[in-house]
Formats: sequence, structure tokens, C-alpha cells
Amino acid sequence: MNTLNDQQLDELQKDLDAIRDEVVADLGERDANHIRGMVRLHRKLEVAGRVMMPFGFIPPVFLAATASLGLAKILENMEIGHNVMHGQYDWMNDPSLNSQTYEWDTACSSESWRRTHNFEHHTYTNVIGKDRDYGYAVLRLSDDEAWRPRHTFQILNYAVLSILFQWGVALHELEAEKLSYGKSHLKEKRPFLRVAAKKAGRQAFKDYVFFPALTLPVAPIVVAGNAGANLIRNLWSSTVIFCGHFTQDAETFTEEQAEGESKGHWYLRQLTGSSNFTGGKWLHIMSGHLSFQIEHHVFPDLPAHRYPEISEKVQAVCRKHGIHYNTGSFGKQYSTVLKRILRYSLPERFTQRPAVA
Amino acid sequence: MLAKLTPSKAAHWLGRQLLNRDDPAAFFDPLTTAINPMWVQQYTPARVERITAETADTKTFELKPAHRWGGFKAGQHVNVRIDIDGVRRTRTFSLSSPPARWHREGRVTLTIKRLPGGRVTNWLHDELKTGDVIGLTEAFGDFSIPEDKKPVLFIAGGSGITPILSQLETMALENYPGPITLLYYVRTQNNVIGKEKLDALHSRYPAFSLNIITTDEGSAPRYLNDQDLDSISDLTAREIFLCGPKGLMDLASDKLRQRGLNDEQLHSTFFAPPAPAQLSSSATGGEVTFSTSHLTVDSKGDANLLEIAEAAGLTPQHGCRMGICHQCTCTKTSGTVVNRLTGQVSGAGSESVQLCISIPQGPVALEV
Ligand code: FES
Repeated sequence: MNTLNDQQLDELQKDLDAIRDEVVADLGERDANHIRGMVRLHRKLEVAGRVMMPFGFIPPVFLAATASLGLAKILENMEIGHNVMHGQYDWMNDPSLNSQTYEWDTACSSESWRRTHNFEHHTYTNVIGKDRDYGYAVLRLSDDEAWRPRHTFQILNYAVLSILFQWGVALHELEAEKLSYGKSHLKEKRPFLRVAAKKAGRQAFKDYVFFPALTLPVAPIVVAGNAGANLIRNLWSSTVIFCGHFTQDAETFTEEQAEGESKGHWYLRQLTGSSNFTGGKWLHIMSGHLSFQIEHHVFPDLPAHRYPEISEKVQAVCRKHGIHYNTGSFGKQYSTVLKRILRYSLPERFTQRPAVA
Repeated sequence: MLAKLTPSKAAHWLGRQLLNRDDPAAFFDPLTTAINPMWVQQYTPARVERITAETADTKTFELKPAHRWGGFKAGQHVNVRIDIDGVRRTRTFSLSSPPARWHREGRVTLTIKRLPGGRVTNWLHDELKTGDVIGLTEAFGDFSIPEDKKPVLFIAGGSGITPILSQLETMALENYPGPITLLYYVRTQNNVIGKEKLDALHSRYPAFSLNIITTDEGSAPRYLNDQDLDSISDLTAREIFLCGPKGLMDLASDKLRQRGLNDEQLHSTFFAPPAPAQLSSSATGGEVTFSTSHLTVDSKGDANLLEIAEAAGLTPQHGCRMGICHQCTCTKTSGTVVNRLTGQVSGAGSESVQLCISIPQGPVALEV
């Protein structure tokens, strides 16, 4: 981790707070129009997907329907749900865009996600042992964790995690790894399991029971298309999220490093623990602007479509303080993710330490 | 179509299953409102059909709400919902037209005075145009005409006349037996709201006597005085309705109580922030826990929960910020709060509180 002294950290905090204040002062109709436009687009894509799906016995229609529904789910999860639940649009005072009441279209209940993601992950970003998003307790992604034989084929675990991503996220709060070490008990998890089962059940019901039953003679096609849409969404969201924190140069921290830290230190940790990827407008929108993961982690509750326009300023702040701003093309960043997963599947003595630590 | 779907239990269940929301129809709002803003389901839409100037700073907005709107009783108010610079704002206004008109033509009116510095009233005056669609909630309030047909005295000041206009017209239509007296205090003759309507009512409805008193036209200010009340026959037998600025309402209720009228006979309604009850500030303040947001902050003095939440960087739902609209209601799970308007202290357990008028007394936990 870059070392800055206390005075430099204070300065860093002031610089970043200034960027934030400027955006907050300027919030208004433009932001409202953006999110409402996204919601409108989501409705169009979802309605189109659901309506076309029963005609999926015509192959091009099947592709169009699956793609439309898949895109709808991606847009809803990333640019709408994720960002709304971060409180980015609470200032609009619109009950349908309120962080505490929004319920998104994925197996994980919003309630659970607000605890594990909004609170845990965003407070303890990349702190090994505290940020349970780090490797999702399945993957070893740094030397901070000791190698075990089961890590050898973790690339396969990664593939399974990506395919079933929404279910992995839904059960995240179960802390299965702690259960298996006997550190916690299933009994304590009962209230969580009840809520999780209800939400997950609803998600499965609509895609695999309700809509297929509604279109009975072609039910298998509808099941296949809906599964396809979920798969597209799972692969994409998993990939975006892995590119946000598990690239080669994304740093990790120990619990001691994060203990009793100042706001400036927290900012520094967010800056160095996250990574961006570059691309066009729609790539950013489809990733919920998590392509600007650095900006997102520094300002999780500013409307995400503002990240591209403040990115220059954040980079200038990084340059000023000599902080590495981790970015690159989508392809480059993703390849370093894969390399990282592979590297840490082997014990330390087989791998050299990464060039930048 | 969807617009006809009443939110039944089945619709609610299906909404949760398929769309992750209680109201399935509102899921389609972003699409349908792009075609026609009157199809919105999240709230009751109302189209502005006519705007007329009453005085230099007061306008009457004639609205046509969607059919499903539940109607109202004379003297009730409604929350108006508009978006200004991307922010949804809610304000409470009295309905100035009689319910009969809503039944006959499906139209209602709001008579709104421009408040100095008021964000919403000025926006309504300057930006709202005929053809625009605004949001309404169901009507509420219990400033209602007596059912037992007792004689009535209305005391109104300035724009406090608006709910009374609705009541007077309704009483005229029902042939309410009377006597009915209106004491209406305005600064100058130019500030009389609903002048034509009042004159017309006065000439066609013999039970109704009208007394418009200007406060600022003489050499000295002319406020409500004892002669005004002396002139009312069998005053103590009347039901009395007060609506106007705080000074007038306080003065009138003091004088009426002195004359032996009891509180059951006095009805008042707010159209400006009501007077806060006296609180001893030493007893207020405390640690406030916002459980959903995982945040605990300390508060001092008589800051209300909404202010405390906002100072902590949270943005809870709210509307009027003065205890009227109930937009800010949420669940207090533990601790005691005092109601700023009534001075009443809550229980210690779980209950609904209005953030904007609740002041902590010691540690409080909220589901925010
Ligand atoms: S904001 Fe209207 S009652 Fe609190």
C-alpha cells in the first residue's frame, strides 16, 4: 500500500471531498432524467423479452428474446438496482427509487445485500478476513491466505461461481466457510435463510414456473430462454465485479492496516483496492458504471453516471499524491484477473510475487 | 386494462412474485406515462385544466384528477406531489371547490397563495401550466361541516379562506339551515380571495352573513376585536371554524375561550406550520440509531429526527416537514420521542413516528 503521512492523507481527503461537494451541489433534473430513462429502457427490454419468448421456436426470435431479457436483467441489476440501493438517488425523494425499499430482480434479497455489500464490502474493501467479497470465500487471490490443496483447481470453482453467480451472492450472507470451520452455526442463520428462500423462490418461480406455464405448449423453450437470460446476466455481472477488485494490481490490506483509520486512509484504500476498465458509453452503463470501480468506491452514493465526468479529476488527485490509478482495456483487465486466479492456485513457492504489490 | 386493476390481494401477490413490488401496475408507469402521464399508477394524476388569478399573489388551479381518486369532504386537504429539479416535493393544500362539483364534473380546485421564498408555491405559480399533470394523494383532514346542523361561525384570515370556500358552497347546496357567519380578515380589499364567489353566495343564500374586515387600510392595524364577536348572535351556541395565520388563530381562540366556548366547539386547521408546543430543551436530545443504515449519531436540543437524519447524510422520505403529510412516517423500534406539535411523549416500544416533528428524549432507534 502506498504510504502517505497523516498530513498527506488529510490533503487527499480534502481533495476528494471537494470533488464530491461539487457533484452534490449540482444534482438535479439531469440525474433524474438519466435514471428514469434507464428504468424506461429496462421496462422495454423486459416486456419485449417476455413477449417474444413464446415465439422462440423460431431461432432468431429465440436469440432476440433471450438477449433482450438478459440485457434487461443486466441493466436492472447493475445500473438501476445496484446504484439505487447505494442511495445514489435517495435525494430525489421518489419512493420507487429509494435505497431502503428497492427490491431488485435477482436471487439475493435487497435486505441481505445491503448488509453484506453496502456495509461490509464498502467499509472493509479488500481487507482480508473482513471483506467477504474478496474471493467470495471460494478463491485464494492473495498471499495473505495460506495455500491449500483445494486451491489447485480453483479456476473451475471460478467458472462455477460465475455461472451460478446470482445464487452465490444470494447465499453470501450464510458464510458457508465459517459454518464448515464450525465458527458459526446454522441455527443463527435461520432468519436469513427464511428471507433468502422466499426471495430466491420468487425468482425461480417466475422464470421457471409462471411464465413457462402461461405459454404451456412452448414451455420448454421459455424455460430455456429464461435460463439463458439468467446465465448471460450471471456471467456478465461476475466478470464486471472480478475486474473491479481482482486485477493484478488491485491491492489487499490486513486488518491491522484498516484499524482505526482516518477518512483519508479509507479513501486511499478505496483508490488502491479497486480497478477500472475503459470502454464506450454503453459498456459503462451495462456494467452499472462499475467500470469506474475506483470512483464508485470513493463515492458510492453519487449517481454512477457522474463517474465518467469526475474520473479526470480523480486521476489528477491520484497523480498529485503518487497513487497508482489502476485502469486498462476490458480485455487487459480481465486477462489479469484470470492470471491472478491461476497464479494463486499454486503455492507461493511456485510463483513469483507480483511485480507491483 | 391495467388502469382498471384494483390493487386486490391477488394483484399484490403477483406483483411480489413477478415484479418484486407490491403494486404490479406501477411497474409499467415508466412506460405508460411516456405515452400518457394520466396513466400513472403510483399516485393519482390530475391534469391542470385552468389557472385563474384571484389576487396579485393567489391563483386558483382547476384540476381534473383520474377517476379512481376517492373524492373528499368539504374542508379537507390533499397532498400535491410535483418534481422540481429532479426532487419530488409534497405540500398540503386545502381543496377550495365543493365536493358536489367533483361528483358532477370530476373537477376540483386548489387556491394557492405564493409564499415569500416558498419553493413549491412559487414553482406552482411560475412553472405550472394548463395541460400539465401533477400528483395528488387521497384527501384527509377533519375540518368538516357539523352533522347536527348547529349554527356556525367561520373565522378566516388571508388564504385561510380556501377550505371555507368549499364548506360554504357545500352548505348552500345542502341548504344548511344556519345561521352561518363568516368573519374574513384580509390586509386590503385587493387581498380578498374568492370575492365573486363570496358575494354570489351572500346574495343567494340568506342564512349566510358575510363580514370582510380589512386590517391594513386604516391608520392603525385593525385586528379581530370584541365588537366583532359581540355582533354574532348566540355565539356560544355555535360551532366555530378557524383557519388563518397563527396570530389570528391564537387571538380568536383566546377570546372565544374567555367567552366560555369549549374546545369541542372550536375547530381549527393548519395551513401554515402550527405553533410548536413548548418543550424543555434540557430533556430533549440523545443518541439516535438508524438501524437500516448502520449509523448512530448524537443529537442535542430540540432537533427533530428528520433534521438529525439529514445531518448524518441520510435522505429519508419526507414532504411538508411540518407534521401534516405523513410522508416521513417510519418505525421507531425503541426509545422515547416527544411530538413537537402536541408536546406528547411517545411510548418506549415500537411504533410509527413522523420524523419531522419527533424529537428524541434519550436514546432512540429507528428503522431508517
Ligand atoms: S414530512 Fe410531512 S409529516 Fe413529516
